[in-house]
Amino acid sequence: MKKLIQIELIKILNYIPFRILLGLYVLAIILGLVIYPLVDKQVPMISLTDLFRFPDVWPFLTWVTEPYNILLALIVIMITTNEFSNHTFKNQIIFGLSRKELISQKLLLILMLALLATLLLTATSVLLGISYSYKLTFRIALENSWMVASYFLSSLAYMSFGLLFALLIKNTALTILGFIGFRTFIEPVLFLVFREREIRWFFPMRANTRLTPLPNLIEIFQRKLDSDQPVDEASLEILPRGLPLWTNILLVAAYIATVVFLAYKIMDRKRLT
Amino acid sequence: MSTILKIHQLSKSYRTIKAINKLDIAIQSGQSYGLLGPNGSGKTTTLSIITGILRQDSGSFLWFDKTPYAGQRKKIGSLIESPHFYPYLSLEKNLRIICRIKNSGCDDIERVLTETKLIHRKNSKFRTLSLGMKQRLGIAAALLGDPEVLVLDEPTNGLDPEGIAEVRETVMEQVKKGKTLILASHILSEVEKICDHVAILKNGELIAKGPVRELLTDEEVVEISCSDNERLFDILKKGEIVKEISRENSIMIATLHKGRTIGEINRHAFENDLVIEHLVSRRRSLESQFLELVK
Repeated sequence: MKKLIQIELIKILNYIPFRILLGLYVLAIILGLVIYPLVDKQVPMISLTDLFRFPDVWPFLTWVTEPYNILLALIVIMITTNEFSNHTFKNQIIFGLSRKELISQKLLLILMLALLATLLLTATSVLLGISYSYKLTFRIALENSWMVASYFLSSLAYMSFGLLFALLIKNTALTILGFIGFRTFIEPVLFLVFREREIRWFFPMRANTRLTPLPNLIEIFQRKLDSDQPVDEASLEILPRGLPLWTNILLVAAYIATVVFLAYKIMDRKRLT
Repeated sequence: MSTILKIHQLSKSYRTIKAINKLDIAIQSGQSYGLLGPNGSGKTTTLSIITGILRQDSGSFLWFDKTPYAGQRKKIGSLIESPHFYPYLSLEKNLRIICRIKNSGCDDIERVLTETKLIHRKNSKFRTLSLGMKQRLGIAAALLGDPEVLVLDEPTNGLDPEGIAEVRETVMEQVKKGKTLILASHILSEVEKICDHVAILKNGELIAKGPVRELLTDEEVVEISCSDNERLFDILKKGEIVKEISRENSIMIATLHKGRTIGEINRHAFENDLVIEHLVSRRRSLESQFLELVK
């Protein structure tokens, strides 16, 4: 495993598009820290800083940064399709890697990027939470912090789907087009087509975005305005629509497992010449 | 001598096209074995299968008397078709990746780059290399970890004469060191110069194999002329010594039957009162034999 990580690191750390995309990802999260408070001053009555307080900072930041995962998926797509266009998968086979190891390499990359993204998000959330919370206790700070695990799963799912698209299409431009097209056009259209049916909640991208849903903003602001009232536990319901939370988590985990299985199968049968 | 590679009844088709059909080859340790054949004869397919890139439809092969597995390929240095590396990485970093795959020390990088005369370009990006340099880097990668076997597919493809000479020199140095070489080529002179054994392929079929010297001398060809060429021509044509005879200006070219000797021609002519003026054994060139075989 160490060997595969070392090989992958040599490849990606010297790959300029990787540095650019990862830089953009980090920049997007850091810029958020500067931009949200600036936006906040423009909105009367309601303060966005309320969303930066524990425990609301967790669902808010995971929801805001969830689309950034597309950047991570693009990294995986570019790195994988490049292996096809440069014929370097073939080269690695010749020199002694197995087809299984080729996929394991990419899965380890996905795992590393997901961990990095989750750590960055956790650090940002903690920083904002500490800066904006009136009252700071461990219990409040850790409440809803499990959303970070949800975000981690969401990152894994995005990148796994990216890998699957890359293995199937092989061409960089077409894969990016296919992935983004599926995420922003095909699935949303299907979602509308099936709007009367429960099946729509089982769509992969939809299930994935539901892992980090929009926080219940009304509840949060209401809670602030009427702060003497005890917090209604039901108001913290983070998944007001769609599948129950744990079903959704299991569904996305099942999607990831299926994608990993398919990735191994595809690589096993792929002609690498 | 141990068997390095044993190919048994290997077959592979691409839809309706049979790329190789029931191929049987055994390569011993220390041999330099040439796979010779025109384009599309199945050389690259054969090498792609034995290096794990392709899967055969039927048949089998053993490396070092063992069923093939990925780790085994670390003992084999290969260059299949053209060299493929990460264009944005330096030569050193590209080779570092292969070192990691082979679990060999990275100190070896300096050695192979020196052997292939690329050490001065160590930090250049792969995409900046000339075709000849890229080919040499492919050979450098194959040499990493000091493998027991080298598998090279058309290593001089697309090179200028100088590049061809350089690559050939590098390969021959490895052969001299006692490495087993499997070389696929459609260039006859290349196989003739580098290899001691050869297998000739045509449309995926093995049509001849054996030591290069044996294949060359399997049928002896002689140049003859005498006081009466017309009479000798008729006598030899009717006799049992000569398989084929043709005229070439003032001399005749005769191919002897297997086991027949040049002395028998002389004796036969003498018994028929003919004086041989010119009788020279002409080693049949591999090229004419190759062309005849693949015709």
